[in-house]
Amino acid sequence: MSAAAEHGHEHHPPYLAHHFFNMNQQADSVKMGMWLFLVQEILFFAGLFMAYIAMRYIYPDTWLAAAEELDKVMGATNTVVLLTSSLTMALGVRAAQMGNNKAVAGWCAATLLGAYGFMIIKYIEYSHKLHVGLLPGKFYSFEGLEQAATEAPQIFFSVYFMMTGVHGLHVVIGIGVIFWIMMKALGNSFNSENYAAVENVGLYWHLVDLIWIFLFPLLYLVR
Amino acid sequence: MANAAHGAHAADEHHDGLGHHISPLSTYIAVYLGLLVLTVVTVLVSYAELPPAQSIPAAVAVASVKATLVAAWFMHLKYDKRFNIFIFSAAVWFMAVFFLFTLFDLTTRGTVLETNDHHEWRIDKEEGTG
Repeated sequence: MSAAAEHGHEHHPPYLAHHFFNMNQQADSVKMGMWLFLVQEILFFAGLFMAYIAMRYIYPDTWLAAAEELDKVMGATNTVVLLTSSLTMALGVRAAQMGNNKAVAGWCAATLLGAYGFMIIKYIEYSHKLHVGLLPGKFYSFEGLEQAATEAPQIFFSVYFMMTGVHGLHVVIGIGVIFWIMMKALGNSFNSENYAAVENVGLYWHLVDLIWIFLFPLLYLVR
Repeated sequence: MANAAHGAHAADEHHDGLGHHISPLSTYIAVYLGLLVLTVVTVLVSYAELPPAQSIPAAVAVASVKATLVAAWFMHLKYDKRFNIFIFSAAVWFMAVFFLFTLFDLTTRGTVLETNDHHEWRIDKEEGTG
């Protein structure tokens, strides 16, 4: 025990919390905690996907008709934007693994551009829907859909706004944490041993991408 | 686990900082290109005007491959501790259980007892189709 204590004392960088033996143990623990949070996110979104499945099962014709009102081109563009930002984030984590703080900040900036791009396109889509009345529940006032083809378009748009809205909220939170990582990288906070924060923010951002990978075909490419 | 082999591995880990796998740039580019190609595929399939019984499985299958690419390479699950892979798989498993059992309920309402079939949506649906 005293040998272990001495060993721990020898290599005790300031970023190693005192209750961990070494950086390996600390990094593994932090990452496992992040994965537990991420699966909570997956199961949380599963509830929304279940709502989608149930409503689509009950109103199959509504789904086919109402989804036509979404813009496939905007959805596909946003998919490419988000996938690209996922790549830049992955390269940011890679730069952190190699201890290159400048590159981490640069890749974070590129990822932020993607995140802003995604939100701008989302804003254009939302404002169009607000304008023509493609809205959830009682706020629905669009008159372009034939009544025969659709029983409850307001339910489709309830599901659409709930799923993309909660996803969009995650993008906004992502912008915040990626900005935080960028500022820390600019302050030379990371090295090849201490980069768990970059890695975990990266994991979070990839999860946001992962959810969009399912949202895009299920909402935009119904037909 | 031989001690010597473990020792050598530990030395490598020390050399690598945390010993975590650093993927080459080409891997990330390849995964990214794969994701773009699959995005094009899923968009093209949607223009084929398939019936939902074919288009939904196709869309979900392509999305699942894309999700696997992201999880395995971008999220490093391929090189991660097995326990993290277990945590992720467990979540996917329980999500499947949740979907499946809810669907059992949803699709069989009214087939056991007629009196169970009093939901307003079902009445609306009959009016809509009939």
